[in-house]
Formats: sequence, C-alpha cells, structure tokens
Amino acid sequence: MNFLLDEDHLALKQSAAVFLDKEIVLDALLKPGASVDQANYRGNWEKIAAMGWTGITVPESYGGLGLSCVDVAMVLGEMGRTLAPSPFLGNLIGTWALLRLGTEEQKQRILPAVAAGTARLALAVGDAAGDVADHSRELGAERSAQGFLLKGARAFAIDAAGADWLIVDAHNAETGRRGFFLVDTKSDDLTVDIMNWRDLTRQVCDVRLNGCVGEELAPLTPADWAWVRDRILFALAAECAAGTQQILSMTAEYAKERVAFGKPIGSYQAIKHSLADMLGQAECANVAVLYAAWALSEEAPQASLAAAMAKAFAADAYVDCTHRSIQIFGAIGFTWEMKNHLYLKRAHANAELFGNSRAHRSRVIDLAQQAAA
Amino acid sequence: MDFRLPAENDPRRAVVRKWLSEHPKPSGRQLAEAGYTVPHWPKPWGVAAEPELQFIIDEEMGRAGVMPPNLINPVAVNNCAQTLLSHGTDAQHERFLMPALACEEIWCMLFSEPAGGSDLAALRTTARRDGDHYVVKGQKTWTSLAHKAQIGVLIARTDTAAPKHAGLSAFLMDMKSPGVTVRPIIDLSGCKNEYNEVFLDDVRVPADRLLGKEGEGWRIATSQLQTERVALSKPGAIWGAGPSARDLVNGLAVSGHLSDPVVRDEAAKIFIEGELLRLLAYRALSDRMNAKPSGPEGAIRKMLAAPHGQHIVEMAKKVQGPRGMIAGEQPFPSQVGSGKGMFADWDYAFWFSPAVTLGVGTQEILKNIVAERTLGLPRENDPTAKLPWTEINRAKSA
Ligand SMILES: Cc1cc2nc3c(=O)[nH]c(=O)nc-3n(C[C@H](O)[C@H](O)[C@H](O)COP(=O)(O)OP(=O)(O)OC[C@H]3O[C@@H](n4cnc5c(N)ncnc54)[C@H](O)[C@@H]3O)c2cc1C
Repeated sequence: MNFLLDEDHLALKQSAAVFLDKEIVLDALLKPGASVDQANYRGNWEKIAAMGWTGITVPESYGGLGLSCVDVAMVLGEMGRTLAPSPFLGNLIGTWALLRLGTEEQKQRILPAVAAGTARLALAVGDAAGDVADHSRELGAERSAQGFLLKGARAFAIDAAGADWLIVDAHNAETGRRGFFLVDTKSDDLTVDIMNWRDLTRQVCDVRLNGCVGEELAPLTPADWAWVRDRILFALAAECAAGTQQILSMTAEYAKERVAFGKPIGSYQAIKHSLADMLGQAECANVAVLYAAWALSEEAPQASLAAAMAKAFAADAYVDCTHRSIQIFGAIGFTWEMKNHLYLKRAHANAELFGNSRAHRSRVIDLAQQAAA
Repeated sequence: MDFRLPAENDPRRAVVRKWLSEHPKPSGRQLAEAGYTVPHWPKPWGVAAEPELQFIIDEEMGRAGVMPPNLINPVAVNNCAQTLLSHGTDAQHERFLMPALACEEIWCMLFSEPAGGSDLAALRTTARRDGDHYVVKGQKTWTSLAHKAQIGVLIARTDTAAPKHAGLSAFLMDMKSPGVTVRPIIDLSGCKNEYNEVFLDDVRVPADRLLGKEGEGWRIATSQLQTERVALSKPGAIWGAGPSARDLVNGLAVSGHLSDPVVRDEAAKIFIEGELLRLLAYRALSDRMNAKPSGPEGAIRKMLAAPHGQHIVEMAKKVQGPRGMIAGEQPFPSQVGSGKGMFADWDYAFWFSPAVTLGVGTQEILKNIVAERTLGLPRENDPTAKLPWTEINRAKSA
C-alpha cells in the first residue's frame, strides 16, 4: 500500500514533459480555418518515434519498451496535457489489440516493426453510431479461398489514416459471432478517410472495406475484448485527467493576471470558487486514472471497474472544466486563436469515444455489485 | 505505487486480532493504553503505526464492532489532543492526554461565538491575567458535546490592543468551573444537545492551563481545524461516519430502484465520488503519521467529502417518496449500512446533513482556502486584519 508515484514514474513523466513542451507547437492550429492537416501529425510522430515510444507497451521480447500501464499513464498524461497531435494513441490502442488478440506468429511479424517505428497499428471497431459493443453487423466477414473477405464499414477509428495494419472487428458469417481480423492497409479494397472531427488535434477516421482480405486473429474469449476495452478507456481517461489539470493551471494563471474593477478577477469569489471546484475535479480525476493504471498493470480483479470509473469521471471533469475555463477567460476564451477551444473539443470528443459517461456509469453499478457479491 | 490494501493474512492483523480476543469488549482505557486510540502517534500514546498498520487497526477494530474512540470523544481524539501533544507542556501531557484518549474526559471545542464564526478571529471572549489565573468572560456557541464535556479547548483574547489574530490564546478549561453555564441548542433535526451555547462569566482558569504561549491561539486553532478536516474526510455521509456510497448502492439494489435509469446514473455518480474520495483519503494517510498537521489537501478533501455526504443521504431520501417525510422512516432494510452511532440512522443522517457544509469551515470558506493555498489566488481582503482589536470595535460602534 503506497499511493504515491515512484521515482522512476516521476522521472519518466518529467522527461516526457520536457520533450513535449519543446516539440509540440500548436500555433498553426490557432489560425482561423485550420484543420487537423496543420497539426503536424507526421512530424510529431517522427520525433515521438525517435523517443522509442512507438513500442511503449510492446514487450521487450518483441523489441519494445515493455512498459506498464502506470508508466504509460505518465507519457499519455503529458501527451494529453500538451494535446500532442500524433498517432500515438491510435498506435497504442492497436498495439494493445494485437497483443491480446493476435496469434504468436502475427505478433512476431508485426510488433518488432511497430517498436522500431517502421510500422503503425490502429483499431477500427466503431459502427456508424460510434457503438463499440459486439452486436454491430455493419462489417461482415466471409470465408473465401484467400482468407476472410471483409465487406462493410467502420467509423470513429482513431489514427486509422496512415496506419500500416488495421485491426477490425466484424460479424463472422460462419460462426455468427464477432471476430477480429488483421487488415493490411496496402489493399486496394480499403479506403480510409479522415472525418471532419471537431477535435483538431486528432485524426478520427472512416474506414470502408470493399471485400479486402483479413487475417483472422486468435480465437476470442469475452475477457479478451474487455482487456483491450479497459485499456482504451484508461488511455482516454489519462488524457482527460491531465488535460483537466492543464486547463485548471492555465485558467488559474489567467485569473491572477486579468484585472477588472481594479482587482485581479481571481479575487472575486465566483471565479475563485469555480477554480476550487475545478481543482477538486482534477484531483479526483488524477487519482482515478492512477488507480486504473495500477489495477490494469496488476491485472487486478477490479481493473474493469477502475477503468470504467476513470473514463466516466475524468471525461465529465474535463468537459466541465474546459467549459468553465472559457467562462473565466471571457470573450477571448471564445476565440479560435486561444487554446481553450482545443481543450474543450478534445474533452467533448474523448467523452464520446468508446462509450459515454452514462454508459460507463451503468456498467460501474453492475461491476460494483459483482465486486461486492 | 501500489494500491493494494493489506491482505487478509497479513501477519500484522494477527497481533491486533489476538489483542482483540484477549480484550473482547475493550474499554476506552484499554484501547488507549494499548496505543489503539491514536495508533499513528508516537509511543507511549500510540504505536507509531505507519499508514498501513493504522489502516489494519482501524479495519480490525471496525470488524470487531469496537465503537471508534474518535466518535466518542471526537474533539480530543481527532484534533485537539494532537495540538496538546505538539504545544503542551510535559505536565499537561501527564494530566490530560490519557484521560482524553481513554474517553474518560470528554472534550469540547470552545471556538465559535455569536460574533465569530467563519471570521473566528473576530471573537470577543476575553481572558484577563489575574495573578496565577486568567479570568474568562464571554459567550461561546455551537459547541458540540459541551453538555458532556469535562474539558473545553478555549480560544480567548488575551491582548485587546493587538490585531485580531495576534491577540488570541488557547486554554484547556475545566467545564465544571464556577461561572460556566451550558445551554442546549436544539438543531433542526429536533435532536437535543447536538450543540450548545456556553456562557463564561468570570471563569477562573489556572495559568498553567494556557496551551502554548500567549498570542499563539490563532496558530493552534487553525492547526486543530486542519487536523479535523483530515479526520472528517472519510467517505461516510456525515463527518466520515454514517452511511457510505457503497451502502447507498447496496440499499438501492435491495429496494429495486437501480432499474430506474435516472436513479442508476445518479447512484453511480455518487458511488464513483465515494470511491475516489476513499482513494484520496488513503493517499493522505501517509501525511497523518506522528501527529503532523496536514496542508491544504485536508481542506480539498473536506470540500469534496461534505457535499458527497449530502448526495448520499439525499438520494436515499428521494427514492422514499412521500414516505421519506414520515419521521424516523428508513429507506432500506435496517441491515443495509456500515454507519456507526447515531449516524447509522439514514433518516437522521439526512436531516443532519445540511450541517456538514457548515461545521469546521463552511463550504465557501473551504473554497477560499483551497483556491488561495493551492492555486495561489489572491487572499480575501479583511479590512479589520491589521487594526488593533480595540479600534475595530470602536469603528463598529461609531
Ligand atoms: C453541527 C455543528 C457543530 C458545530 N460544532 C462546533 C463546535 O463544537 N465548536 C465550535 O467552536 N464551533 C462549532 N460549530 C460552528 C461552526 O464552526 C460555524 O458554524 C462555522 O465556522 C461558520 O460560522 P457561522 O455559523 O457563524 O456562519 P457565518 O460565519 O456567519 O457564515 C454565514 C454564511 O456566510 C458565509 N461567509 C462568511 N464569510 C465568508 C467569506 N469570507 N466568503 C464567503 N462566504 C462567507 C458562510 O460561508 C456562510 O454561508 C458547529 C457548527 C455546526 C453546524
């Protein structure tokens, strides 16, 4: 029992902070009319690859860093704090999926390249409504001589554009059940389009599969998808918690400097108390994420509960605090030229991806009762 | 980092369980002498328990059904005794600590006054030196437990010429002294003697009952309020006792209300809050060693825990519908709930709950503290802070 971070974790966080503060420049996004095309996605990714973080969760036996979720929380937190536009998250999610769902041969073939930064993974499991539960039949898989032929679509796929391999889920006509498949994006029968996504710091994509060939992944147990899903929820929550802390710091600093009626606005209690509320949310979001990170690292029985709590709480906190931030900045906070909206949009987008807070809270009740039983 | 709680077969549990089997119904004195009343204190008062051992002791005592001493004698055990430990003389330790920890002498906190609540330093009770005594004159109010207490921790003004914070001193006053009159104040729950007003008419307090030095009253009072904030911020609805969010979810499951999606969502929000507060409290355990007063984290947790407690009992009350307005009616079968003492009663806890955002720092004052100390926002402006005390009153009456 020790609820504090170790020296190693703090050092990792610190080095990520120094690196990202130096390398991540969002100025181009703050020019009106900017889109994710100006986010320097590729350039940032090259620098991140040079840090070795492309294989952050790839086990050492496949050439990666083999870091735990607590370590990942340190890096992801700094990515979330700086909004670091890059396919880091998508690749991370794809890696988790392959680690858990891939066959040994597939892992040996792909993971070393991922760790080396020469291949990139992404996961595409959302249906047109963004639902990631296993009943979606918008993508079907039929066995053929060449392997499984995949027909249909997936949406809301984080960082699918530019990925070398996609992992998709599809309705397997043969078994009548959900299966996972590995797709080589060089296939002509595949198109990936970046959606007109409000969060300009992230490429979220539509994927259309017109009969391209998919390799079947290892047979699936219900626990497998839960393992991947819990990590995705944790990752989004880690970005949210760090973003909440960052927007709090930015807003508190502004409240000390901006003067109205002869005093800094931070001396007015309406502002002060709102910032105190934000601080309370930031503290809770932070501890929620660390708890989830630890539970996942340990594969503890409460990991699913911890991940669901973290996603639900941190996403709501982020949405609330980014909204408050704009109110406290006043009209300047409502302009395109300020960073506030980038955080606001990241908050709303993360809150909607992989199930909203209400859905996760409903699961929290079930999981809590299972844990109590 | 390791969030694992001490295991069931942790050898340290065996020691506590053995003691409990030898003392199946421990008296307050037995608990105090074993060091189990304040395990985190240094010996001989505690067992110098690190946070994990402290957690184990709390848990084992709870399972054995031992009424926690900090609920019987909260003012002493949770706060004031700690300041006595750090500010008191050896003779005072000798005289006061053991009876307090053994819950043989109940303590109360004579801080608030009609003219000094949030602005505690505005208090008007004076203590004038007269030979080897102080003569105390004034009125205290909202004093919990004053009707049961032998010892009152008193903050009074010893220097009326100094600015308001600087002129205060702390005393350990005998509540049975001539000149002390205690009158109950009935709170809105109708419960008698939750708190009292205390009249102090030329009460003679021996000079050796001064805690710390003259003029240290403000520092002592604030450090006590800070330790109290730590002590109170457990996830139970009322001052950390009372039903918890886990109890709420269990209760709603038993009563069938969780199938209502609105109730389910609200309950989940409260449950998550409760779990996160629990984690924050565990994290703070490490600061609680050796009677060390905590920093602003205590204020942050009290700021979060008080409304959280209100959410728990409000939700339980809401699902009762009009039946909840019948006095004494409980929302769930009686077996639901881990609450202790009078706060185990859900109905009473609900009607008491407005007080939790008032006592020990109102929600507004806590938010000021959090924003100022943690975020560095400008301090509240107190135009009376620097004036000599006598001038403030002159300005008011003019
Ligand atoms: C159940 C209970 C038990 C208690 N037990 C004890 C006890 O044992 N001993 C003891 O000494 N006291 C005790 N108290 C008193 C408690 O400490 C005071 O109620 C508290 O400090 C607030 O003071 P007040 O009630 O005079 O309210 P006031 O200070 O008059 O405040 C009234 C309102 O004004 C607001 N306000 C005041 N100043 C500011 C400011 N600067 N900024 C913004 N808002 C402000 C407050 O937040 C509140 O909403 C108890 C109170 C309760 C409810």
